[in-house]
Amino acid sequence: MSQMGRSIPRLEARSKVTGRAEYVHNMRVPGMLTAKIFRSTVAHGRILSIDAEEARGMEGVYAVVTGEDVRKIIPNPYFGPAFHDQPILALDKVRYVGEAVAAVLASDPHIAEAAVQTISAEYEELEPVFDEVEATLPNSPIVHDELKPAGTFADLKHLAGRKNTNIALDYQLRRGDVDKAFAAAVHVFEHEFRTQHVLHVPLESHASLAIPGEGTLTLHTSSQTPSFVRMEIARLLGWPENRVHVKVPFLGGGYGAKVYVKVEPLAVALALIVRRPVKVALTMEEQFYTITKHPVTFRIKSGVDKDGRITARKCDVYWNGGAYADIGPRVAQKTGFTAPGPYDIDNVSIDSYEVYTNRPPAGALRGFGVPQLVWAYESHTDLIARELGLDPVEYRRKNILRDGRPHATGTIMKDAGIDAVLDRIAERMNWSVAIDRGTGRIKRGRGIGIGFKASISPTTSGAIVNVSADGSVVIFTNTIDMGQGSDTAMAQLAAEVLNIDAEKVKVVHGDTDAAPYDMGTLGSRSTFHMGNAVKLAAEDARDKLVALAAEVGLPAGTNYDVQELFRKRYGMRAGNIVGVGSYVPSYTPPDPKTGQSANVTPFWMVGGAGAEVEVDTETGHVRVTKLVNVADGGKIINPKIARTQISGGAIMQLGFTLTERMEFDGGQVTNASFADYKIPGFRDVPPMESELIAANQENGPFGAKGIGESATFGVSPAIANAIHDAVGVRLTSLPIKAEAVLRALRAAQGNPLAEDEE
Amino acid sequence: MIPFDWVEPRSFAEAVASLDPEDPTVRPVAGGTALMLMMKAGVFTPTRLISLAQIEPHYSAITVEKNGALRIGAMATLSALEQSSAVAEHFPVITETLLTLSNVRVRNVACVGGALAHGDPHMDLPPLFAALGAKVLVRGPAGVREIDVDSLYAGYYETMLAKDELIAEVFVPALNGAKSAYMKCTSRSADDWPALGLAVRFEVEGHAHIRNPRLVVSAATEKVTRLTQAEDILKNAEADSVVLKRAGEAAAEEVTLLGDAHGSASYKRELLRVYLARAIRHALAGKSAQ
Ligand SMILES: Cc1cc2nc3c(=O)[nH]c(=O)nc-3n(C[C@H](O)[C@H](O)[C@H](O)COP(=O)(O)OP(=O)(O)OC[C@H]3O[C@@H](n4cnc5c(N)ncnc54)[C@H](O)[C@@H]3O)c2cc1C
Repeated sequence: MSQMGRSIPRLEARSKVTGRAEYVHNMRVPGMLTAKIFRSTVAHGRILSIDAEEARGMEGVYAVVTGEDVRKIIPNPYFGPAFHDQPILALDKVRYVGEAVAAVLASDPHIAEAAVQTISAEYEELEPVFDEVEATLPNSPIVHDELKPAGTFADLKHLAGRKNTNIALDYQLRRGDVDKAFAAAVHVFEHEFRTQHVLHVPLESHASLAIPGEGTLTLHTSSQTPSFVRMEIARLLGWPENRVHVKVPFLGGGYGAKVYVKVEPLAVALALIVRRPVKVALTMEEQFYTITKHPVTFRIKSGVDKDGRITARKCDVYWNGGAYADIGPRVAQKTGFTAPGPYDIDNVSIDSYEVYTNRPPAGALRGFGVPQLVWAYESHTDLIARELGLDPVEYRRKNILRDGRPHATGTIMKDAGIDAVLDRIAERMNWSVAIDRGTGRIKRGRGIGIGFKASISPTTSGAIVNVSADGSVVIFTNTIDMGQGSDTAMAQLAAEVLNIDAEKVKVVHGDTDAAPYDMGTLGSRSTFHMGNAVKLAAEDARDKLVALAAEVGLPAGTNYDVQELFRKRYGMRAGNIVGVGSYVPSYTPPDPKTGQSANVTPFWMVGGAGAEVEVDTETGHVRVTKLVNVADGGKIINPKIARTQISGGAIMQLGFTLTERMEFDGGQVTNASFADYKIPGFRDVPPMESELIAANQENGPFGAKGIGESATFGVSPAIANAIHDAVGVRLTSLPIKAEAVLRALRAAQGNPLAEDEE
Repeated sequence: MIPFDWVEPRSFAEAVASLDPEDPTVRPVAGGTALMLMMKAGVFTPTRLISLAQIEPHYSAITVEKNGALRIGAMATLSALEQSSAVAEHFPVITETLLTLSNVRVRNVACVGGALAHGDPHMDLPPLFAALGAKVLVRGPAGVREIDVDSLYAGYYETMLAKDELIAEVFVPALNGAKSAYMKCTSRSADDWPALGLAVRFEVEGHAHIRNPRLVVSAATEKVTRLTQAEDILKNAEADSVVLKRAGEAAAEEVTLLGDAHGSASYKRELLRVYLARAIRHALAGKSAQ
């Protein structure tokens, strides 16, 4: 039976519901100390002194560690995937409220916590900068004295040593001649859109347990990228990689919060300082000071000819990266080049700036910046269609980027079902039939939004498939199952090759001593990259089995029993076969000046949404009455799991669209808890339809590709477009709270709602 | 967290005796859902907590009396109240209010006494019980007294309870055909604390002639607050759109509304204006809550 397209339950489902699945938060080892963190209360300042006397003297406190203590064992204690800019504990300066300044170690976490409360620090306060556009102005305060690119990424090298700037990356793309095209355009449209500060909130927050050995180290960590963690820890310590063993059990969600390196360096440094196992396990509240999603300001300008075709588009995108670069510069670039949207436009100019500010760091969050861009370009596209009096679906069809046509980078589109996704949304929305627009206080409207994303490239994945003498199969992979079902998908792919049932395959994930290198479980890359690696490894194992059959004298093409094979070869039940697979797609680096590349991504992800809404014109309240989500995921390995990725992504983006926002007072987050930062509850989930179109990704494993992020793309603009359709006002900032809608309505009526006096 | 004493008295009387009238770090705990949030946030550090979990079971009873009045033991959980068929029959407005009060995990442990004693204005039951004319039975060392829920609150997170008094029971008078509704306006998720909570109870004569209205606003105000001027407008009036509009205007004028993360004061003023009429209409239509 083919294993592709089988909706088998997730392999780990039972162990999770019975509480047997392992998580780092629950791990305890003999002699373990727990660290609690003392955090900065100022957004930008020079550290004058840290007073931890009282904490050190408290009964049960084992040690208090500061940045200077870390520097004694790690001379250059700065980490990060793109820049080596983040100190393990603050050194010299603090750059955001909530930055880790000191750590208290105790066997009893409550004692450590109480001791943290007694620590104080003195700072010479410096002027902070919070806004991503202001931070690029000439007289802005400067967050980092000097840019320190990590050297891992060739396209960031030119930034080394730059001073007096907050721009951590100035990515640009030039295609055609936008100025000339604007001059020739019949209509020119220009808008600015903004997004708010939000975060991932996986229900399991970050946790790392570092156990020092004799010149070795074992690190259990809640990471989406064990291979990167090993490399980065080895680099910080100046050790060979084989002395660092990184293990990752299951994750309670990741969404990008746990990519690259987060609390691991702190756990390692503390463990090496005290020579005991140390656990750093963040609280929910501390997630707000760890990693967030970029707020964005996006200025977008389009030139349109007399037939409504978009002839030019200029995109200026400012990404608020917060105090440390994390992976932000890659967001500004790898996502930046999709800023003009899935449209066929001859003249394009993109400037995409990753900007340092005194906010908590921002990184990757389900979509790697794409949802922020789609929010802007699909709102903008809708406004153009409205202005020209054209139907929004027809207008998109007229301009859509089809397979065979060049994208803004010059890469020819392939296996990207953009038009098909648009068509399916329109059909499911019954777009050709007018809707009842409502009377009285409730008005109805509908809108759509579509987006696309390139895969992060070039990246590599390796896998091992082991066949034991009894015929049972184990996959070794560093792709991490964090609830998305990757173990099950990998099992299905290997089983398809080996012609066995996927349920019988065991997956060992997240163990750098056992499984080969993998770039990371991120950016919807695993089904494609690791899927290809697993498929290759399974094929290798299959080929070796065939060879073994020939060796023991079985005629080619016969049906043989695997157990029999091994018995014939070894005279008893013994031995095994190891298949290895390694995959790296082809890639052409873009020209640094123009961003042009003939092969910028191995595959495209496509997703879109259609929304019907009811707007209460007396309160501004928006009720989504229907949400259609359609995505192109190539051939689907496990339809049931795939659909949960679609609905889950859409609901997550719904929260970012309507309700979620980190509130700040200066640099201080004022709603750092689930009591005051509200993610959608079950009562907020609208009636939804999810569809994965019939498609095939030619170079994907059995035609498959990633789908983890695609459903986030279209939701925000679809809702804003629907609100505009219903009541004629345009919201340009997220989240779209009822009050914002009412204010816009009242402003449009010339009867604005008063602002509160402070 | 600094260690503290945890006591589990077996009787209500013993619980009262374990309290300390002078020491604010000694407190009773029912479901603990509110108290734990305060302890986690570091705004409350107890030296002793008196758990009410083991007191006599009749303090968890929910009883509808023959005349239709309702008695709820302070230790009845919000889930028990939500699932009581007698409550659903006689006070559908209570059942419906509970559906969006927080989430099932909180409702399973939070108790009615805790919900009333906490004093956070951003709660759903206090304004509703105040509008329904409910009283709490309170017992301290000096004996028992009754406090009307509409005068239970002294200010933001402040109640009229002495530190050595406990709520024993809530008494809700029979509706006897009176209309009621509770409107919960949230500005974030649907099960969030309200931005504005508005509860109404009134009797009707004929089609829409209003008698004895009780209107109570909360969440947007410092504490649970009666809207007496709006009540005066509605009293003995026909609830037509002109009257409802006037009542809404009066309500928006008579109370001080506070801006916070749920919304600005001026937005809440709009909500109050609009929702007052909606609450009356919902109640008249027999729909108790939205
Ligand atoms: C995530 C979350 C969401 C929430 N959302 C909502 C919401 O939407 N709407 C809403 O109304 N509420 C909401 N709440 C608040 C919730 O209703 C209260 O936490 C709960 O009702 C308190 O009851 P408890 O039994 O847990 O009280 P506890 O936490 O045990 O006690 C609360 C206070 O009451 C005192 N106390 C308890 N019992 C008595 C008694 N018998 N006599 C005197 N004093 C007593 C305690 O000393 C304490 O001061 C939410 C809470 C959480 C955690």
